[in-house]
Amino acid sequence: MLILQNLSDALILACTYILMAAGLTMVYGVLKVLHIAHASVYTVGAFIGVLVFSWIGNFWLALLCAMLISGVFGVLIYRSTYFYLLNAPRTVPLIASVGMFVMFTDLLQKNFLMGPYQRAFPAAGAGLPAIQTTWLSLTPKQLLILLVTLGLLVLLYFLLTRTRLGLSWQAASMDREMAAAVGINLNRSIAANFFLGSALAGAAGVLVGVYNNSVFATMGDLPSYKAFIIIVLGGMGSLPGAILASLLLAIVENFMVASIGYVLPRDSIAFLVLILMLMFRPNGLLGRE
Amino acid sequence: MTLLEVKHISHWFGGLQALKDVSFQTQDEILGLIGPNGAGKTTLFNVISGFITPTKGEVIYEGQRIHHLRPYQTVRLGMARTFQIVKPFATLTVEENVLTGLGMPYYPTSKALVQRYKTAPNLEKVEEILTTTHLKEYREFPAAKLPIGLQRRLEIARALATQPKLLLLDEPAAGLVSQEATELSDLILALFHQGIQIIVIEHNMRFAMNLCQRIVVLNQGELIAHGTPSEVQNNEKVINAYLGQE
Amino acid sequence: MSSGYIVTIFTFVAIYISLALSLNILTGYAGQISLGHAAFLGIGAYTSAVLAVRYGLPFWVDFLAAVVITGIIGTILGLPSLRVRHDFLVLATMGVNFVVVSVFKYVDFFRGAMGLVNIPAPTILGLTFRGGAPYLTLTAIYALLTLAVCWYLSKTWSGLAFHAIRNDEDAAASVGVGSARYKIYAFGISAALAGGAGSLYAHFLGSVFPDNFVFVESIGMLSMVIFGGIGTLRGPIIGAIFLRLMPELFRFIQDYRFTLYGALLVLMMLFQPMGLLGKDSWLWKFSTRLLPGNRTSMREEIP
Repeated sequence: MLILQNLSDALILACTYILMAAGLTMVYGVLKVLHIAHASVYTVGAFIGVLVFSWIGNFWLALLCAMLISGVFGVLIYRSTYFYLLNAPRTVPLIASVGMFVMFTDLLQKNFLMGPYQRAFPAAGAGLPAIQTTWLSLTPKQLLILLVTLGLLVLLYFLLTRTRLGLSWQAASMDREMAAAVGINLNRSIAANFFLGSALAGAAGVLVGVYNNSVFATMGDLPSYKAFIIIVLGGMGSLPGAILASLLLAIVENFMVASIGYVLPRDSIAFLVLILMLMFRPNGLLGRE
Repeated sequence: MTLLEVKHISHWFGGLQALKDVSFQTQDEILGLIGPNGAGKTTLFNVISGFITPTKGEVIYEGQRIHHLRPYQTVRLGMARTFQIVKPFATLTVEENVLTGLGMPYYPTSKALVQRYKTAPNLEKVEEILTTTHLKEYREFPAAKLPIGLQRRLEIARALATQPKLLLLDEPAAGLVSQEATELSDLILALFHQGIQIIVIEHNMRFAMNLCQRIVVLNQGELIAHGTPSEVQNNEKVINAYLGQE
Repeated sequence: MSSGYIVTIFTFVAIYISLALSLNILTGYAGQISLGHAAFLGIGAYTSAVLAVRYGLPFWVDFLAAVVITGIIGTILGLPSLRVRHDFLVLATMGVNFVVVSVFKYVDFFRGAMGLVNIPAPTILGLTFRGGAPYLTLTAIYALLTLAVCWYLSKTWSGLAFHAIRNDEDAAASVGVGSARYKIYAFGISAALAGGAGSLYAHFLGSVFPDNFVFVESIGMLSMVIFGGIGTLRGPIIGAIFLRLMPELFRFIQDYRFTLYGALLVLMMLFQPMGLLGKDSWLWKFSTRLLPGNRTSMREEIP
């Protein structure tokens, strides 16, 4: 029973990792930029979610607003910086990204935005029931996370495989110049990519905020670091790889903590995994040389 | 005297076979390595100089098997190279570019941490090399500001600074106007007469025919001909390879 | 502002000049961007603090141990850089910073979030350096020492090898530079110098806490290097002075210090990626034009 409980906890944890990592993978795929400021998008999503929820009291509307505004925020980030740095060496946009991340985190902690304290996000399970079977035991909150994640992944899958937009991303991720040469409007395509990826991060922020009943300015730091570890594990720019790696990391984290207990905090496990990965399999678990 | 021996080298990139059982030896000569685009010439250079470890086969240099060595180790044995796509140290001056080559004996030792590089004897050696390569007047120029022809010559100068016994030149004449190409031929000949063996990859048939004593022809990863320029020129396979390309 | 306060500020400026210069060896000379330099500051500070507080060893032992131990750890942590492409290395250094802070926080030996306190003031040759002007002198000497190391290093074969691998690793290999060796050198030297700064930092404050060495502190140091001009000697010095003094001069900036660091990084990347006083920056070109016959000064730098 304990193992099953651990598994469902891990599954829920993995869901939030997936939403976060999906956006990063998409951005990396198209721009080849490690988009560290993604963490700020996630936090902004949670913040908007909690604000709208406290005004209107409807979780779904709050989620929608959070996703829309996060998406716009992501596009603004792209248009104000990366857009100008597309042809610079890769470390240049990366440093700019770090700069934005530090700047936004500091600003969000100011009183006129989120302030340095935690806010509650009492959306409970948005009215969903608890599920208790032999295989799965989910609280309403966990069910909510699972459903939203699955829904968004289906939508994402559809967009990537069945639409012109998805095709244009695939083309751009293989060769940006070629994609432009065959008549893809790269700018619009990349902006849409940022919008979608950022909206997913916003959704992740809202879900984690509800799950922990807590939203605060630095909440994005850890999930975003972990999302990087996940996209490295999954082989950069690969969505299925990222999903697999999310599951793997969540399971490892949960069981390490359950069986070994605290030697180091569980979050350092991810970093040790990252450093070892980078040393021994720098192209990811599924990646080829 | 055989300095370099390439024995049954094959190399695959994924499923693509770039080199198929290539074997040849150098003699005391300027050896030309020619062939149409994609024939595997640069791959072969990369194998010889250690940038690629071949899937099969051996590279023997002065009786020693070297195909497992890293590029920086092959240099220390006396084998220097230039690159098809030039790679001068863009932010360094011409003088400093050549100095990097003079440091070759120091880099693998901890002396590199304490010994200064801009010493009078070193600057003299640089002067000598820049004179040979006709780059003297550009001494203080940042390498990035030189035109491509001079950048190619700078790469040769840098390679010379490592005091090679064998010099591998990857398309040194590419992008040069005929006047520059003639100067380059003279330079390569002069180096040969100083006792350096040379292998030169060339796309330009005429340039290679005039310069080299012997020529190896690659086509689609295979060695298809091997001989003096006139032998190679009349070889049916070679004619087909070049005509077939058009 | 009291004169004591001003001395304190300049003591920190001196420590940060050493830190920025040491980071510059790794990031500017060898081209390995690091987001984890605060970890080395922390390792140096904690080494010193542990030796002084737990074992009662004298300052000079703590200090040397901090330099050596941080140098060794830096060398080991440099190993991933051999296999990793540039942008991934940045992630790895970020991870290193996080793990190091976690160790300080969660391993009992380091007293966790309580930190190590009551680190005694250093005594050298019977003189006690308890804050104030004497300590400022000590840190200034260390900053000069760091500067001397950087300057000398840039004149040696290894300095030239750093240039080479930063420009193009394949070309560097073609003249006999094994880039692995030189990256490791850069990590080791850079970490060792930061470790010394950490020792001075710990003895100056008298206490160390894990939160002094978090990721944003690393960003602060990187901002100093990039703002001033990456790969030059003058850049990190000017960057450290400017970014440490600004918040002190303007209270408003003190509250928005990290916003400033972040915004500076973004703006520099957009408009002057080589830094304000870097080789091709307009400010540097402008000031060199004012000083005629200054051509040789173009030589020392590694853009």
